[in-house]
Amino acid sequence: MSALASPLPTAPGPLPAAPARSAALTRDLRWLLRLHRPALYIWAALVVVLAAALLWLAGPLTDASADAWHDYDACHGEGACSYYQDAILRYKNVYDCTTIALTALPFLVAAWSGAALLGRELESGTAHLAWTQGISPVRWLAVKLAAPAVLVTAGTGLLVWLHHHAWSAANGRVDTAKSWYDGLTLHANGPTTVGFALAGLGCGALAGLLWRRALPALATGLVATAAVRVLVDRLMPHLWPADTSVTSLRRGIRGVGITVDEGIVTSTGAHLPRPHCPPEDAVHGCTSTYAKADAVGFFQSYHPVSHFWPLHLVTTAVLLALVVVLGTTAFALVRRSTGGTARNRRTGVAG
Amino acid sequence: MTSRPTPPYALRAGALGKRFGRRGAWALRDCSFRLPAGRVCAVVGPNGAGKSTLLALAAGLTAPSEGAITVLGTDPASARARVGYVAQDKPLYPQLTVAETLRLGADLNPGHWEPSVAEAVVRAGELDPRARVRSLSGGQRTRVALALALGKRPDLLLLDEPMADLDPLARHELMGTLMAQAAQYGTTIAMSSHVVAELEDSCDHLLLVGGGRVRLAGEIDELIEAHARVSAPAESADLTGHTVVESRTTGRQLTALVRPGGPLPAEWRATPPALEELVLAYLRNPQAAPLTPAEPADEAGTAADATDRTGNATEAAA
Repeated sequence: MSALASPLPTAPGPLPAAPARSAALTRDLRWLLRLHRPALYIWAALVVVLAAALLWLAGPLTDASADAWHDYDACHGEGACSYYQDAILRYKNVYDCTTIALTALPFLVAAWSGAALLGRELESGTAHLAWTQGISPVRWLAVKLAAPAVLVTAGTGLLVWLHHHAWSAANGRVDTAKSWYDGLTLHANGPTTVGFALAGLGCGALAGLLWRRALPALATGLVATAAVRVLVDRLMPHLWPADTSVTSLRRGIRGVGITVDEGIVTSTGAHLPRPHCPPEDAVHGCTSTYAKADAVGFFQSYHPVSHFWPLHLVTTAVLLALVVVLGTTAFALVRRSTGGTARNRRTGVAG
Repeated sequence: MTSRPTPPYALRAGALGKRFGRRGAWALRDCSFRLPAGRVCAVVGPNGAGKSTLLALAAGLTAPSEGAITVLGTDPASARARVGYVAQDKPLYPQLTVAETLRLGADLNPGHWEPSVAEAVVRAGELDPRARVRSLSGGQRTRVALALALGKRPDLLLLDEPMADLDPLARHELMGTLMAQAAQYGTTIAMSSHVVAELEDSCDHLLLVGGGRVRLAGEIDELIEAHARVSAPAESADLTGHTVVESRTTGRQLTALVRPGGPLPAEWRATPPALEELVLAYLRNPQAAPLTPAEPADEAGTAADATDRTGNATEAAA
């Protein structure tokens, strides 16, 4: 900024860097948005509709459902009992729909990124058109990935926050509210969904660059994103040390959360898998099976609700690392196939 | 080399080769030539000869598998802003209007976009700026693609089969626009075609590509001068000492297209070949020795000192 306050009006020199950079940014956003205007509108509409649904869910729907459950729980025995069942069902429907929609967003991003953002451009040759206009392939890819990444992060981030807000509003008040560790709710409530969406963007982009065709890139992007979702979901409980609780045989396994491992504790203190309990013993609470196995108690290693944030943050970090790998690969691919950036490459031909 | 303000060569390739895939066939191999700046060059060859690959390499769209290509004195990536390119299938964004397409050109070419040039090309075709590109005919798309390429005011214009979709009138008009561009700004133009006649009147330089190799390269006048169509009595004709491109004996008469290695006997009837004849003779005879200008001793060297690189080895081709 000191350059702007320079007392020498005649001082020559390059233009201030900041305005030039912001002008370049404006230009890059302008051409990108001109090409992908429908996608931008659809994304904005999706975010607005889902956000409205989640706010509706967090407020009126949760209140109505909680009231209905309150009335239902007040019913004892026979006699006239009145509660508003529609409120309970509506809450459940809207909650399920929004959660599924939030789960599906990363796949939508992957499909779009593979097919429309890159695959179609390489298939039809319009990527070559852009590259032989003034923009280098690397910058072209950077703009194409950075702007959607910002929009995807902002959109999914907002929706995840609203979902968490809606879930918290119902937690403990609505009897059928999903637990925090429920498969879809777990991710829809936290930043891993943002990570999945960015991974979807990266998978789709890489598929588009590799296939150079829209349809195979769409399919590959979707499959790769599904694989990331399944693998990371499996990996998540192991990314943070689980709590282990030991309980007596009488108390049984009591911990509520994501169970990593459970079994019996023997008199020597060894942790073993729970032995098979035949049906004739099961009716007696498996007492003879446990006695035979020398069980004196149960152990359970699990993630209680207090592990929600550590689990989410570590898993998101893993996903972001994957996104970096995908992005680096995409840039390397473009750089290699087009002969690199303007640098001191060997330019001379013999002579 | 990169510091030179006006390099003498717009394009300069040395042992350039490109194949697709690690074990794929070579689309272009051992390709060496120089295109002096300011020329209008016809890149001629049959379908699949490697013309498009050569132009894509020059435009920095693909990387060479071997050898190197220098564009405007630097590497293709650094020359990007100064090179215009129109691909064979004229890719454009179908969802944009003509006016939006030109605005895209302005956004992608900061600092070197001339809207009046691009708009003039579009206007000459009486295109509605509000028309969507997807509604345009093939010829109209070619016009928009050329407008994009010309609007960036390139020093080198690479055109891959630019006239294929155009009706004769539009072809004549656009060729005039291109020639005016070349004359006014000294733009070097390299355009490919498999129809020689299409380029003969406008081009002064020729690059004949066949089977992935450069067969002929140089100024068209000099290439024609370097060859002779001879006819002589078959029993007395001895072509030793001359490079034979093609020869045919009909009855007692021998006709041949040769590169004379010295003065021809006075009793032979020798005429300069037509360009198309020359091109066809080389394409019909893949074994004929290629003629490309040798590396000049000085940078200003032209094809005048063209010599036969492998002539001696292929004299037996007759």
